[in-house]
Amino acid sequence: MKEIQLKVNGEEVSIKSPPASTLLDVLRDELDLIGAKECCGKGECGSCSVEVDGEVVCSCLMLVGQTENTNITTVEGIGQVGGMDVMQQAFVDEGATQCGYCTPGIIVSAKAFINSIDHIPTDDEVKTALGGNLCRCTGYTKIIKAVQTAARRQLAAGGAPG
Amino acid sequence: MRVSEMDMYSPSTVEECLYFLHEEEKSSRLLAGGTDAVVRMKDGYFRPEIWINLKRLDELRFISEAENGIHIGPLTTHTDIVKSELLQEKADVLVGASREVGAVQLQNMGTLGGNLATASPAGDMIPALYVLDAKIEISSFHDKKVVPIHEFFTGPGRTVLKQDEMITNIIIQPQGENEIGIFEKLGPRKAQSISIVNVAINLKMGENPRECLSGKIAFGSVGPTIIRSKKCERMLTLGPLDETAIQNIAGAAWKEVMPISDVRGSAKYRRSMASALLERGLHRLMQRWDER
Repeated sequence: MKEIQLKVNGEEVSIKSPPASTLLDVLRDELDLIGAKECCGKGECGSCSVEVDGEVVCSCLMLVGQTENTNITTVEGIGQVGGMDVMQQAFVDEGATQCGYCTPGIIVSAKAFINSIDHIPTDDEVKTALGGNLCRCTGYTKIIKAVQTAARRQLAAGGAPG
Repeated sequence: MRVSEMDMYSPSTVEECLYFLHEEEKSSRLLAGGTDAVVRMKDGYFRPEIWINLKRLDELRFISEAENGIHIGPLTTHTDIVKSELLQEKADVLVGASREVGAVQLQNMGTLGGNLATASPAGDMIPALYVLDAKIEISSFHDKKVVPIHEFFTGPGRTVLKQDEMITNIIIQPQGENEIGIFEKLGPRKAQSISIVNVAINLKMGENPRECLSGKIAFGSVGPTIIRSKKCERMLTLGPLDETAIQNIAGAAWKEVMPISDVRGSAKYRRSMASALLERGLHRLMQRWDER
């Protein structure tokens, strides 16, 4: 067991965990942040995507001991019911979710993506940006539309990365 | 060793890390981006008593140009490589490989040194490093040496690295103004996939239309380690690289590779695809060269 300090969704937390536990397991089991999901467990599906120091990563392949003193953002930190982010609202409005298992990972990837550009992305750009996130309900058409809607709204609101 | 019993050591300098490798008697393993090592930990193959976390060694994350080539730190991520203007200009084939290695998440996590040390026959960076004549600097607590990339690998998943050694620099030869390169990959899907076949090509072009002065072609995932296709390389200089010449060169590729059948594809399919990828790569390169 090691004591590890992290900043998760803006809050300093201190956890006790074996350092070789995955970040995903710690988020879900220790911190009750169950948005990020485990699916393939080997970095192919993107269900476990979170941001670590501003970069989207697969939290199932990162050992928590490696994330000491990093700044982590999960889907819960992007927005909550009652204060949803523009990306989450766009997914609701476009009906871009079916079973919902992949959605948290996709929200994290898509949010980081639209924050990194200053235009409404083309279908191909969205596909490349979300290449690491699988949706096995295959609801991609609406997902792509939702990302474009969110980008349009974010730009209209001043484009400020939120 | 259970995962819950493993310890982790996070050195903050290379010196500290090498000293630890030299002194520590418990079993240990270096951990960079984790995109391969953590999967193998979960599968039960990698179960060291101590993980050595390299992510704090910022001194090994650099891209810079020196007299003897471009130096790239082993902890440089694929995202760093894709964003580097120096590499875009003078190592396009390496940038291409980093872009194809996986989707955003894996580009953010995976490192160049990790791809080398993992030594997967399907590792995407390795063919690109072959055609750029890469040299690998290996350090231990008492020693430092440089080995050319073709001497670095000893078999699938095996390298010359000893338990107390680590990669501390990767030196590639920058492309001249008349050099162009490309990386082509076939995977089960476009993003985030392991190569079924990949190929890196680097050509030195002459004054005349499509005249190739020399070239290097390296195939990945079609043999126990990377295969340099010497016969195809010789054919590059026989005449202008028009469509017929490209087809002839690609046609010779299937004899050069020695793939196995596995879960990702049969040996026969891989042979055909090695030819197809080489043809596509040369075709695209020549189009780019014509349009420059």
